[in-house]
Amino acid sequence: MANKSVAFEIKRQANPDAPAVWESFELEWRPSMNVVSAMMEIAANPVTADGRPTTPITYDCNCMEEICGSCAMRINGKARMACSALIDNLEQPIRIEPLSKFPLVRDLQVDRSVLFENLMAVKAWVPVDGTYDLGSGPRVFPQQQEANYPLSNCISCCCCMDVCPQFNEDTGFVGAATIAQVKLFNNHPTGKVFKEDRLRALAGDGGIQECGFAQNCVDTCPKQIPLTNAISDISRDVIIQKAKDFLRG
Amino acid sequence: MATAQPSAVYTLRPGVPPLRAGQGTTFLFRKLHSLLGVIPIGAFLIEHLLSNFEALKGPAAYGAQVRFLNSLPLVRILEWTFIFLPLLYHGIYGVYIWLRGKSNLVYYPWSGNWMYTAQRYTGLIAILYIGQHVLRQRFLGVQLPEHPYAAFAKVQHELANPWMLAVYIIAMIAICWHFSYGIWLFAAKWGITPGVTARKRFGLACAALGLVLLVMGLASIWAFVGPNYKNAPEDATPAVSLFISPADVRGVSTGMAPSSQLAARS
Repeated sequence: MANKSVAFEIKRQANPDAPAVWESFELEWRPSMNVVSAMMEIAANPVTADGRPTTPITYDCNCMEEICGSCAMRINGKARMACSALIDNLEQPIRIEPLSKFPLVRDLQVDRSVLFENLMAVKAWVPVDGTYDLGSGPRVFPQQQEANYPLSNCISCCCCMDVCPQFNEDTGFVGAATIAQVKLFNNHPTGKVFKEDRLRALAGDGGIQECGFAQNCVDTCPKQIPLTNAISDISRDVIIQKAKDFLRG
Repeated sequence: MATAQPSAVYTLRPGVPPLRAGQGTTFLFRKLHSLLGVIPIGAFLIEHLLSNFEALKGPAAYGAQVRFLNSLPLVRILEWTFIFLPLLYHGIYGVYIWLRGKSNLVYYPWSGNWMYTAQRYTGLIAILYIGQHVLRQRFLGVQLPEHPYAAFAKVQHELANPWMLAVYIIAMIAICWHFSYGIWLFAAKWGITPGVTARKRFGLACAALGLVLLVMGLASIWAFVGPNYKNAPEDATPAVSLFISPADVRGVSTGMAPSSQLAARS
């Protein structure tokens, strides 16, 4: 059997100021190949399709099972996780680009720290730190656990933000992931203590109001998180919170 | 031994700024935009299309409807507070919203994304159309508040131009689309339909409402350009008779009581 080959076109950029260039690669087909494993092979033998030596490709990746959230990139134009992008399911040549809305570090590596700043801005945590043992927390009923579990699946990959037409430098929109985390922590019996703070935070500039409900986030989320449901629910909570604040003010 | 080159220090582009938690006023302005689209603008749209539907009954009925609307108390204040100013705000802020969004339909040609884009284009068509429509039909030409019975002829003259007719039909489609998807968006974004199934069901209801409004709107346009009321009179004021109607005269002559007295007796 003749060896099949796989063609790649990868967008390279040596540093944030360098011009972007496309490089082509051709690899031998192997069963169960994915985009990350292909780039590992390129790193082992960094030669372009036309035989020119080049540098290994820089990219983030860790777990290889779509759970760490590192390897988000645009594959054939769409933001997704590279580890779960199986070569056999992709149209060739496979075009690989970095995420489009985040500051580029090098090649396919981008700085996604804005998500963590957003999570901090909405206090997306359960406050249990203290100087003494607070004892066991309140009980979470199984029904509530069922509702929260899908939201807790977020891997912070930022795909939902990259595909969002409203997530850009003009709006500074917070993005769907953070809003879903607000729902998760507002549902938590101990996390609830920051509920009002979180809702008020989301009414700030770049907050939940910037959502245009294009629904790309929920269509693209690799973890199938019900992002639009969360946006709808939290929108209502924010509106009610702002109305209460106005009337009590 | 070669000395190591000091590695260059690069600064990253700033990227999308993080949430300005609790700061600023866009929440209020954006929610106002959203609310005004449904009430009063959406409510007015339904009123307008219902009123237009009277055109199917002819110039006199249409004139009577225009007369009724212009006889509402404080009508000029109502008009500015509930129609012109909200429309102006909704339109201008809507364009501002559009300019701040970056469409990516090319990469993500999905239904929600299509609707997102369509909402912006139909909105633009609506602004341009409503601008000329208000100017030409409300402020220029025959003053309808003073001459309500001239309304039918005024619209008929406008639609006699085939280009204008095309503009009205395109705008009718765009506006019905914009309104029906707009109320769907309103329900989704105000947390009225937080579930996928609820949004799907409400989507069908919105589509049905949009279609009904569109059919009504197109039917009213037909009333002006169709064969039924060709060459409508410039003034369709119904003649008021000071004489007893022939029916009553006939009733008296045959010894029968007029119908009103019959009704009173029963």
